[in-house]
Amino acid sequence: MNANPWSPRFSGKRLLKNELNLSETVFQGLLKKGNLIEIPGIKEMFFYNECQRCHTRKPSHFGKIPTETNQPIPHKKLRSTKSITYCRNCIQMGRVSTYEPLYEWNGPASRPPKMKQPSVWRGELTPLQSKAADAMVEAIRNQSTLLIHAVCGAGKTEMLYRGLWIAFRNGFRVCIATPRADVVRELAPRLRRDFPSIEVAALYGGTQDVDVNAHLVVATTHQLLRYSKSFDVMIVDEVDAFPYHHDKSLPKAVARSVKPCHALIYLTATPRLDLKMASRLKQIQTISIPLRYHGHPLPLPKLSQVFKLHQHLQKGTLPKKITHWIEQRKAAKRRFLLFVPTIESAHALSKKLNIPYVHSESSNREELIHHFRNQRYEALITTTILERGVTFPSIDVAVIGADHDVFDEAALIQIAGRAGRSADDPDGDVTFFYNVKTKAIVKARQYTELKNLEGKKFKKEFD
Amino acid sequence: MHCKICLQSIEKDTTWSTLFDFRERTLCLSCDEQLEKIREPTCKKCMKRTEEKLCSDCMFWEQHLGEDPLDRNISIYTYNEYMKEMMSRFKYRGDYEIVYAWKDSFQQAFHAHFSKGIHLLPIPLAESRIFDRGFNQAEALARLLDQPLFAGMIRTGQEKQSKRTKWERLSAKNPFELIETPPENVIIIDDLFTTGSTVRFAAQLLKKAGAKCVSSLTLVRS
Repeated sequence: MNANPWSPRFSGKRLLKNELNLSETVFQGLLKKGNLIEIPGIKEMFFYNECQRCHTRKPSHFGKIPTETNQPIPHKKLRSTKSITYCRNCIQMGRVSTYEPLYEWNGPASRPPKMKQPSVWRGELTPLQSKAADAMVEAIRNQSTLLIHAVCGAGKTEMLYRGLWIAFRNGFRVCIATPRADVVRELAPRLRRDFPSIEVAALYGGTQDVDVNAHLVVATTHQLLRYSKSFDVMIVDEVDAFPYHHDKSLPKAVARSVKPCHALIYLTATPRLDLKMASRLKQIQTISIPLRYHGHPLPLPKLSQVFKLHQHLQKGTLPKKITHWIEQRKAAKRRFLLFVPTIESAHALSKKLNIPYVHSESSNREELIHHFRNQRYEALITTTILERGVTFPSIDVAVIGADHDVFDEAALIQIAGRAGRSADDPDGDVTFFYNVKTKAIVKARQYTELKNLEGKKFKKEFD
Repeated sequence: MHCKICLQSIEKDTTWSTLFDFRERTLCLSCDEQLEKIREPTCKKCMKRTEEKLCSDCMFWEQHLGEDPLDRNISIYTYNEYMKEMMSRFKYRGDYEIVYAWKDSFQQAFHAHFSKGIHLLPIPLAESRIFDRGFNQAEALARLLDQPLFAGMIRTGQEKQSKRTKWERLSAKNPFELIETPPENVIIIDDLFTTGSTVRFAAQLLKKAGAKCVSSLTLVRS
C-alpha cells in the first residue's frame, strides 16, 4: 500500500530518538535521506526557553544538567557547552533537552485506507442530535471550526457518529482528545464496538495501545504532545475542563497536531468565556443543544443550606440534613454519588459512612469506578474527578460543601449532569449542601433553568 | 520559589521569623510529608531498620569478607513508594534538578555525622549509562555538599544492580578499579543502599590501597 515501510509508524508524529525505536543504521539512513528531520528540543530565545514538545515557557519548568563533571560524558557535542537545559514539565514522556532533539517525519505521508462501510451502528438520533450531526458533517466537509454546546446527557457520542462515518469513508485521520483518562477508557470500547472495521488507538498514560496509522485516535490531551500535523479532523471533548484553561501549552499542542487543512470540533456543556465570546461574535459556528437525548428536562439542583458545614466536616461529624438525605436514598433503594471538595474530607466521610471513596491518586481508581457501575456498590464518595465524562445510568447526586473553591460553575453544572442520564429514569435528585451561597451555585441553578426553558421551546417546535 | 518535585510555587506566610529568612526552599510541605525519614531503632552500622544492634546483613558481611571494609553508612530516607517514584524520575527519566529537593536534608546529614574537608567519592557509573542519562546520580548528590571530590576510581564491570538478586550481587566480581591513591579518609556517596554490596566493593579497594576510614553517605536505605 505504502512504498515507505516507516511511513505509517512515524507519519504525523514528533518523537524522541528512543521513542522511534530504530536501530542506529536505519536511523542514520532515514536522517540522511531527509525522511526524518531533527527539531531542536528546546528553543532558546533571548528572554525565554520554549520546550518544543509541551510548549511551556515558564522558567521554573526548565532544569539544567551540568556537563563539567568528574566523569566526562562521552558525547562530542557537549564539549563546548557548560550545561544542558531540559524540560521538566513533560519529563514523564522522556527527556527533551538541548542535546536530545525531537524528530519529525518528513517522508511520504501515509493515510489510513478509505472504508466503504465503517459502521454497523443502527441507532436513531433525535431531531436535535441530528441537527448537530449534520452541522458536524458540514464542518468536516468544509474543514471549518464548530462548537457544539450540548447539555450533559445530550448524547454527544452518538452525535459524532455521522461525522465520523463521513470522515472514515474519505480516509481522514480523526482524533478525539479529552482531558481525562477515564473518559478515554470509557469511550474507546464503545467506538470499537460501533465501528468494528476501524482501527482505533486509545492513548493515555500507561496504555498498551500503539497508533500505527490508525483511523481514529482517542487520546488524553497530554498524548497529543507526540503529534504534529497528523489529523484531518480534531474533536476536542470538554474544552473547558482542567488542563485546558490557565494552561496555554495544551491549546498549542492541539493546534500543532492538526494538518494545515482541518476540521476542528469543540464539544462542551459549559463553554468558558473565551469560547462564549467567540461564539457570540459569530467567529465560531455554534450549535446549541438544550435537551437531553431522552427529551426530559435537566434535574434542577436543590439548594440546602447547612450552618457550620465545614466545621462539621473537619470534626468528622455529619449534619442532620445530610444524614437525612442519605437515609432517604437508602430507604428508596437509590444509588448515589457524594461529591466532596478534598481528598481528606473524602477519607473522613468514607470512614464515617462506611462507603468507599475515589480520588485522583487512588491506586484502584478504575476498579472502584467499575464496581460502582456494575452495581456492586450502592454509593461512592468522590472528589471532582468523576465530575464529567462518566455515565452511571440511574443515580442521585449530592455535593457536600458546594461553596468550596474547587466547585466552580462549570463543575457544579457537570456534577448535576450526572443525574437522570437514562431514559428509564430521567429524574434524579441533585442537592447542593453549602454554608455560604456562592455565585457558582446560583449560576449553576440559573443555567439549568435557562436550558430547560430553551429545551421546552425546542420541544414545541418539533411537536 | 518552586518546589523541585511538584513544580508548584511554594507559598510562605510572611511573619517576623520568615521575613529575613533568605534561604531558598526547594520542597513544598505536601511533597516533604511524603518523603519518609529513617527512624530509630536501626542497625548501628548500616541504618537498616532492626531491633538488634547489628543487623544480619552486616554480620554476614563480616563473616563473608573476614573484615568489613565499610566503617559506617548514613542514610536519610526510607525506600517507600513515593521515593521509588522519585528515584525512577531522577535516574531513569533523567530529571537532574530533583536532586535539589534533597539538598537540605543531605547537607544536614553530612554535617551531623562527618566533619568538613573529607574527600567524597561518588560511585562511578558505567560509560553507557552516563551516555543515556547525561549525568551520574551519585555525583549529583556529592555536588550538593561542596566538599572536595576524589575522582580516582573507574567502573570497569557492567552492571544493572536493581535487576539482580542478592546472591548474584554477592558473587559478582568487583566492578571498580582504582587509578589513583586514595586519601586517608573517604566518604562514598551513592543514591541507594540496598545490600551494601556496591559500596563495600568500592570500600574494599580503598582500604586495600591504604585508606584508613571509609564511610558512606547514601540518600536512601531500602
